[in-house]
Amino acid sequence: MKRFFKLYWIEQKLGFRCCDGIIFGVAMPVGILVLIAIIAGEKMAGGMGYTYLESAFASLIAVGICACAFMGLPLTIADYRDKKILKHFFVTPCSPTWILGAVLVCNSVTAILSAISVTAVAVIGLGYQMKGSVLVFIGTWLLTLISMLSIGMMLASLCQTIKSTNAVTSAVYFPMLFLSGATIPYELFPTGLQKVASVLPLTQGIKLMKEASMGIQMDSLMGRVILLLSITVICSVISIKTFKWE
Amino acid sequence: MITCIKVESITKQFNGRKVVDNLSFEVRKQEVFGLLGHNGAGKSTTIETILGLKKADSGKATILGMNPLKQRKQIFEKVGVQLQASHYQNNIRVEEICQEITALYKAPVDYHQLLKKFKLEQFEKMPVSKLSGGERQKLSVVLALIPAPEIVFLDELTTGLDTAARREVWKTLKDLKKEGTTIFLTTHYMEEAESLCDRICLIKEGKKIIEGTVQEIIEQSPYENLEEAYLWFMGEEII
Repeated sequence: MKRFFKLYWIEQKLGFRCCDGIIFGVAMPVGILVLIAIIAGEKMAGGMGYTYLESAFASLIAVGICACAFMGLPLTIADYRDKKILKHFFVTPCSPTWILGAVLVCNSVTAILSAISVTAVAVIGLGYQMKGSVLVFIGTWLLTLISMLSIGMMLASLCQTIKSTNAVTSAVYFPMLFLSGATIPYELFPTGLQKVASVLPLTQGIKLMKEASMGIQMDSLMGRVILLLSITVICSVISIKTFKWE
Repeated sequence: MITCIKVESITKQFNGRKVVDNLSFEVRKQEVFGLLGHNGAGKSTTIETILGLKKADSGKATILGMNPLKQRKQIFEKVGVQLQASHYQNNIRVEEICQEITALYKAPVDYHQLLKKFKLEQFEKMPVSKLSGGERQKLSVVLALIPAPEIVFLDELTTGLDTAARREVWKTLKDLKKEGTTIFLTTHYMEEAESLCDRICLIKEGKKIIEGTVQEIIEQSPYENLEEAYLWFMGEEII
């Protein structure tokens, strides 16, 4: 365990050194949150009985998840595969799952940092108060994180080269970022686009977190939980079955 | 004479093409053994099959009497490996890659001492990417030595280095040899084989052409030096 922690810590330092994760995962959602609060913080969002700030909090907390799961995780794994770092673990007494585990933990930590920053700015700086249960909200956040990471792992397994990983992660990351409601408030979308956006897994996670944070009676809660759990199971299985070390 | 690595008739095919063809040889304890051949002769595939990174279609290889496919953990506590053209994480520093590799072993040696021995201690805080080619190859030897291995595998360690850097890497390998480490290396530089190897094995299209000491191999050809003898055995025209 101590040895794994050492490995993780070096990977984490490398993660912080290259600022992509911090910029896209932490600074960006915090910045957008402040902007939305300034522009429309107290206005009601789409006649649903909550403000834009309340809506933005639950959405922007997903940006960190999005950045780590669809960018950080698959790109790092593709890079390590290309550099034969994963392969090298086969010729050591450690399993290559160690390095994958370390990369997974690193990305989760960045997502946690992002969530903490967004929450701190919202609560301390913008006077946000959660109406719903904090514990239920944390549960929905964790479920969203795990299910999105499983999609990221699947992308890392299915893409064999850095080039294809770059293309695929961009094709997944940007629509998820802009259409799921993570950055642009979902309430502003026309109904047609809302329907399209609902297909994205992250949209379901964000809706779940929104409902939990606002304490809205969650009719479709079980449906969304089951959906996200199924995504986690299916993507994890595909990821494990198709993973290539080199 | 204790055998460290035993390769028995291994064959490995890719898409119906035999890359390693019924290859057998032994590496003895404390010797430097060189596997020589052109680019694409099957050297790296041979090394990777011996290490268990690839599964042989037939035949088997054992390292220290153990099967690398089944006893990976035990073997790699005692065997250090440098894979061909391996790279490191972006932005990683010399001390960090050393710490990372150290964390993988139960009884590693102190990497500071290794860095000192290879004259790399002043680069400890430097990013690996800032090292010169020769320094980076010496670092990869340091990393392969962190487990205090009985055997080290070095796949084309000096490819792409200039003469001075290559000679410096040779010196470090000669020191290792003096200390009794068994070294298995692949190369396509004859000078390197002459300077370092106790015994060599020439392969062509995955098949063994000849095996023996450098002297024995030269004597079996009509030529006076290894480079010409090598070309003659490989069936190339000698200009």
